Amino acid sequence: MDFMNTYTICVFTENSIGLLNKITIIFTRRRINIDSLTVSETERKGISRFTIVIKHEKREEVEKLVRQIRKIVEVLAVFGYLNEDIVFDEIALFKISTPLGSRPLDVETINRVHKAWVVYWGLDYVVIQKTGSEKEIFDFFKYIKPHGIIEFVRSGRVAVAKTPMGLVEYLPEDMEWEYYL
Amino acid sequence: MATAIEIMEEEKVAIETKLLTGSQALMECLIAENVDTIFGYPGGAIMPVYDALYDYMDRINHILVRHEQGASHAAEGYARSSGRVGVCMATSGPGATNLVTGIADAIIDCTPMVAITGQVASGLLGTDAFQETDVIGITTPICKWNYQVVDPDEIPEVMAKAFYIAAAGKPGPVLIDITKDAQIKSMTKPFEYKKITKLAGYHPRRVPKLEQVEKAAELINNAKKPYILVGHGVLISEAMEEFREFVEKADIPVASTLLGLSAMPIDHPNYMGWLGMHGMYAPNVMTDQCDVLIAIGMRFDDRVTGDANLFVKQAKIVHIEIDPAEVEKIKKTEAPVVGDAKEVLKMLLPLIEKKDHSAWKKEFRDLEAAEKEAVTDRDLAKVGKIKMAEVVKMVSDKTKGEACIVVDVGQHQMVTARYYDFKNPHSYIASGGLGTMGFAIPAAFGAKMGAPDREVVAFIGDGCFQMTIQELGTIAQSGKAVKMIILNNNFLGMVRQWQELFFERRYSFVELQNPDFITIAKGFGIPGHKCEDRNDLNASIDALLESETAYLLEVVVEKEENVFPMVPAGRSVSEIRLK
Ligand SMILES: Cc1ncc(C[n+]2csc(CCOP(=O)(O)OP(=O)(O)O)c2C)c(N)n1
Repeated sequence: MDFMNTYTICVFTENSIGLLNKITIIFTRRRINIDSLTVSETERKGISRFTIVIKHEKREEVEKLVRQIRKIVEVLAVFGYLNEDIVFDEIALFKISTPLGSRPLDVETINRVHKAWVVYWGLDYVVIQKTGSEKEIFDFFKYIKPHGIIEFVRSGRVAVAKTPMGLVEYLPEDMEWEYYL
Repeated sequence: MATAIEIMEEEKVAIETKLLTGSQALMECLIAENVDTIFGYPGGAIMPVYDALYDYMDRINHILVRHEQGASHAAEGYARSSGRVGVCMATSGPGATNLVTGIADAIIDCTPMVAITGQVASGLLGTDAFQETDVIGITTPICKWNYQVVDPDEIPEVMAKAFYIAAAGKPGPVLIDITKDAQIKSMTKPFEYKKITKLAGYHPRRVPKLEQVEKAAELINNAKKPYILVGHGVLISEAMEEFREFVEKADIPVASTLLGLSAMPIDHPNYMGWLGMHGMYAPNVMTDQCDVLIAIGMRFDDRVTGDANLFVKQAKIVHIEIDPAEVEKIKKTEAPVVGDAKEVLKMLLPLIEKKDHSAWKKEFRDLEAAEKEAVTDRDLAKVGKIKMAEVVKMVSDKTKGEACIVVDVGQHQMVTARYYDFKNPHSYIASGGLGTMGFAIPAAFGAKMGAPDREVVAFIGDGCFQMTIQELGTIAQSGKAVKMIILNNNFLGMVRQWQELFFERRYSFVELQNPDFITIAKGFGIPGHKCEDRNDLNASIDALLESETAYLLEVVVEKEENVFPMVPAGRSVSEIRLK
């Protein structure tokens, strides 16, 4: 197989029912697998931001995909990026078992080396939160594994572009936006 | 005592101040959009709308079809002949799913349509209520936009959006699903309708960027062998006049796509025919000879390009197109111009140098002899059984090329495209992108409703005819003079042709035992005639054309005729076969 690049696609939409479906069927119809997907409301009221990560070997195909997403009426703007164009992170939660008599956690290494934090102490488990790249999260996964991972969950990617302007600034101008700020 | 007029005045005031129900609001929206005709079929979840329609019968002409697929194709035919948005309506569940084929057809052929469906009451959504189907889910991939209304207050704005989106930019179908409670409940505010001309997320560029037009002009002016492919887009944007001026000034040979047929009269000296899988010889092979290809309002469908990688490899491409997603979707393009064809051509015209490409045009004409000898002369030879071609040719001559032709899907569709001498625009109404058998009867009816003053003639295969045969009832009830010709070869002809050419003549389920079509038509109240003899053809066609009412002519044609030229699927156009 050809070399697969990772692309991060940021989609700004009106916040209406069914949009997630309208967007994802554009991927499924072209048999493109979505690696991760994050949706939340932006600082502008009623505007949602989708961050979608895919792998693809052909840049032109991703560009075509972006143009197809742009055709959705409720979509206000779409941007596609390679990893070098963005600052991005994921967040992971690890539920680690700490029964009585187990090897104590090395909290200093967890904090200093892995930049991860214990966010909850249960009776015989703790929850550690780790933010970072996919690689950093899996490095920490390997480190913590011997302690016994009861549960592990990783979020989708969130990303901001390395541009001086915020992406919302590119949204259509002649609408009256309301801000949360 | 109050006079009748005073009472009427009072009622008018009452209506103006009274709050409308969702159904009434819907009617008012249709009137505000100047909708004169809707094609529909009632049922439980749309009954409040039909009840409101009862009071609007004098202003909105509702046509009761016989199957909802007929409603959606009729709306397409109406839109294609009139240039206006076609409207169809159905109940929830099976009513809505029956519309689906026509909606899919409309999206791929860029036909403006608003489909209205009833839905179960909002409180029952998601409960598998009687006749509940997730119509929004089903139609999302085939609609330009769809929306479910659960509150009557939303109706004016949603309908204004629906009509704007259906018609703007690259037209397409919009589906509005209205829950039964939203149809029944009254609005909480007075009805007010504001037409929409722009949306934050949808504002297609009509006027192109100057630098794109300049780049295109430069390529066109410097071309030695420029070649224009004109598509449906020129007809949709009503750019025929600008297009003709452009073609004549730059003196460039033109071929049309199947749906671009009739964008230019076929007797124009620059018009070389149409191209594609069953298109004409010169227009197809000359795609290998041009140095600049100017594609206007077309999308490089695989039925046009054959193997797209081998299509116009040698040429630079100028692509004039309103939908940015079409640019470079199939072919690398040196000069994309995003905009409405009419606006682009207006801007392009003054930048184009006057040229004389007589020698280059002659290269096309020189190739015509081969096709004439191998195909046309044989098709029109009038020996043996009647051939489809001679029927079409005779109708073309008798209507002076001025009729609005509607076709179904198969051999007869291609033969009609070859042998009808189109003079006027919007005269070849076909299901191009989807190839929907069953399109013609309802679409011809819709076309007649959209252009009542035109002679509408449908050419239909014996297979296709049986897919929407029930719409004969609709036509009869309407009293409209839709003329239908069955070209009966007793086979699913196009599939049989493929089986003959590519599957070693293994005729797998393509022969039909047909009913007596004329008796069926008579049963519906439509007169007709079966022609089996060449000597009877002339009089048969006269009877069809002279009929003041709808009429069915069945012509029994050669059973195993093949349509040529043909570019085998997925091959290069240079592999075109003449026999
Ligand atoms: C709904 C649908 N089903 C199947 C097909 C495949 N198909 C394409 S052409 C054709 C044969 C059409 O036969 P007929 O109506 O007799 O026309 P002819 O080709 O003989 O002119 C078929 C089955 C189709 N295009 N549409």
